[in-house]
Amino acid sequence: MLRILHGTKIDFIKAWRIAIGITAVFIVGGLVFLGVHGINKSIEFTGGTLLQVAFKQPPDVAAIRATVDAAGYTGAEIQQFGSPRDFTIRAAGHRAGVQVETIARDLEAALHKRFGPTEPKVVRTEAISARVGDELSRNAMIAIVISLFVTLLYLAFRFEWRFGVAAVLATAHDLLSTLAFLAIMRLEVSLTVVAALLTVIGYSLNDTIIIFDRVRENLRKARPEPLYDVLNRSINETLPRSVLTHVTVAAATLSLLLFAGEVIRPFSWIMLFGIVTGTFSSVYIAGPILLWIERRWPRSRGDRASARPAAPTKPRAPAASQPVAARTR
Amino acid sequence: MSNLKYRLAIVVGLVLLSVYALFPRDVKKRERRPDGTFYDTISRRVPLRRGLDLSGGMHLALEVDESKGTVANKSDAIDRALKVVRTRMEGLGVSETVVQKAGNDRIIVDIPGLDDRERAIKIARDQAFLQFQITDKTQAFEKILPRLDAIAKEKGLTQGAAAAPATPTQGAGLNGLLTATDTSKSDSAKVVGARKDSTKADSTVLPGVTGGTISKMILAGSMPGQFMFDRSNEDVLKSFFSRPEVQVAMPPGKVVRFGSDTTVIQSKTYRFLYMLDERPIVTGVDLIDAKPNTSPTEGTIVEFQLNNEGGRRFLRETSKHLKDYMAIVLDNVVMGFPPVINGAIGTKGQITMGQGRDLQAAQDLSLVLKAGALPVPLRVADVRTIGPSLGQDSIDRAFRAGTIAIVLVVVIMLGYYRFSGLLAVGGLALYVLYTLATLAGFDAVLTLPGLAGFVLSIGIAVDANVLIFERIREELDRGKTVRTAIDEGFRHAMSAIIDSNVSTILTAAVLYQYGTGPVKGFAVTLIAGIVASMVTSIFVVRTFYLLWLTRSRGAQTLSI
Repeated sequence: MLRILHGTKIDFIKAWRIAIGITAVFIVGGLVFLGVHGINKSIEFTGGTLLQVAFKQPPDVAAIRATVDAAGYTGAEIQQFGSPRDFTIRAAGHRAGVQVETIARDLEAALHKRFGPTEPKVVRTEAISARVGDELSRNAMIAIVISLFVTLLYLAFRFEWRFGVAAVLATAHDLLSTLAFLAIMRLEVSLTVVAALLTVIGYSLNDTIIIFDRVRENLRKARPEPLYDVLNRSINETLPRSVLTHVTVAAATLSLLLFAGEVIRPFSWIMLFGIVTGTFSSVYIAGPILLWIERRWPRSRGDRASARPAAPTKPRAPAASQPVAARTR
Repeated sequence: MSNLKYRLAIVVGLVLLSVYALFPRDVKKRERRPDGTFYDTISRRVPLRRGLDLSGGMHLALEVDESKGTVANKSDAIDRALKVVRTRMEGLGVSETVVQKAGNDRIIVDIPGLDDRERAIKIARDQAFLQFQITDKTQAFEKILPRLDAIAKEKGLTQGAAAAPATPTQGAGLNGLLTATDTSKSDSAKVVGARKDSTKADSTVLPGVTGGTISKMILAGSMPGQFMFDRSNEDVLKSFFSRPEVQVAMPPGKVVRFGSDTTVIQSKTYRFLYMLDERPIVTGVDLIDAKPNTSPTEGTIVEFQLNNEGGRRFLRETSKHLKDYMAIVLDNVVMGFPPVINGAIGTKGQITMGQGRDLQAAQDLSLVLKAGALPVPLRVADVRTIGPSLGQDSIDRAFRAGTIAIVLVVVIMLGYYRFSGLLAVGGLALYVLYTLATLAGFDAVLTLPGLAGFVLSIGIAVDANVLIFERIREELDRGKTVRTAIDEGFRHAMSAIIDSNVSTILTAAVLYQYGTGPVKGFAVTLIAGIVASMVTSIFVVRTFYLLWLTRSRGAQTLSI
């Protein structure tokens, strides 16, 4: 049988300081970037009007800009969308007393007057009132908070609290680093991107759970072993699975990124990054946090016993906590 | 052995059920002819519903318009408006149109395939309040003109671009042109005759002109209570007549209404203005049927029918108003050219659509008339349109990305796990089938993020297989027999598979609850995908193994 990374004994946890340093720099950098530039929110959240137009020939961008300005929408953003023949025109905000749908009509009429009766073709329009925008923003925030809360509840139910807290903190890390990523990439945050963000949360949690499941199992085994070693062993044992799964999911995501088109691209970027950060955090965030918690609040004899109900009791069972403390200082 | 038989029966049963759910079936679909009318066709297709972002179409959210007065019970008003909008949209006949209430104060309309934004908005939002009102014959407008001029002077109102032509020679030309350009030649020759007479009498500057701004702008029309003004003055006059002090100055029991039609006199376009009796003789509440038609003399018309009570009232009123002109007023706009009442009219009548309106406009009007008036005015809160070509493009791209993803996953699985990989690929094929069938079965909507989620879930679906296979390898390493290793592998991998999948399902459920449109589609696809993935990896692939074990009669080695 073909095997990769079989029977490895890599001390993953050893490098945790460097790893956490790198991710901290990335997150802080991204958040500073976010603070400076703000979130690039899509029209769904800001309200306003968006037109996606397709020209037969690549047009002069200055001509589009002039047309839009002449129509009275001087603040409008004009962006190339995928190919040099496709553009989006985004007029944010609304003038008082103007019906939502009239801006799209105005812009369309102005463009047709300038470029011809069927040129450019308007392939997509979105006109969203400020009130709907506010509502969608609020719903997105609620969705993120509730999904974090629900997964927390589930973890509390399935794992003992030490694992739960470590997994949740690892997930919070993924959320932050993904935010940093989308700030640095200047990706537009739309409802679809929020969906991708929540999927990343699920996926990363999935990965953490797989490793913790193995840790739980290894802890139940008769041989007492420091948690540090149990963690490393569990990561090494699940390594082939991790590599193979991440490779297949990354392959699917890459094909989405490369071939599924412009509309879904921000979604694909977030997913691709999510795979990386999810894998990273399962090892370097969840692991060290679990060790730290274990050192601060060592397992009592009872805890240990309940963690491995079938295991024969050895006289030196509580040994687990002391070597951990010794190894991690 | 019998255990295996049951398992196989379930797997095959699920396949049959899925094929049945996905089997192409006849769908009645309404198509639009070039002239805008509809006809039904039957097409055969796979019963998977496509979201607006894939089929093309438009999404419309309407809310109560409170710019002209607040509405006390919005939720109730929306409920009543919902019924009207739904009836109208059903009449529009685009299959799979969704009309539903969102939140407390919003109506959502999703129309696949239709991207004529203006038209759909008009149908959904027009209040369609129909009134029949008699044009004023007491010269009430002429009497208040000096007062209006005074108000205009007081407010410093200036005339628009064009002044009304004031030369007396206009009379003859006006008369001739009016008869020639008028497409709505009304009921009978009698009407035209009557109009000619009145035109001759009045078609010059109004009598008693004080020289004020308003009276300079307004010309007499061809019937009592009808007036005309140059179209360039339209905005000025519209805002003038909506002023509160002008409203107050109106004679009691009379209202001013603008007309839908224009007429061209000596290359200038004029619009009509009417002074009407405020009390309608009958309203659209009594209307029970309306249908579009074309008449050789009047062009496009809408024929309507009143119920018995309305018919009786109509008969009584029209017999009282013989030789009067009756304005048909829709949402406070006078439609077409008011016909003269030549005799008492009963339950049936018609609305002349006026110039330049095609059959589609007549069809849309009969639609909104039949559905009834909206109880509250609505305004657009959000509207999105996606062209059908963009939707098709998205499908093509997603399909290509999906195919490439599947090929990559198959290559990885076969290359790494060999025979067991083949079983996993078989499971994956069933996984795709089950997921699509589940979506069809629950009538879920497939959206672009949903397709992306599906492609993604193919990658994730492999995870469960990988977990199991790695576990079997470990058990084999410990020297267990093939059969025991397989049993143990499945048993040990179970808790990890369930834990990780349940947490993803929970996230997806939250997304479904709080997401809209495309995101909801994503959540549904993800949930269907995860459930199907658990079924295939835990149950189907295991059945394949059992089948193989039975066939190979206790194999000593396993290609994994």
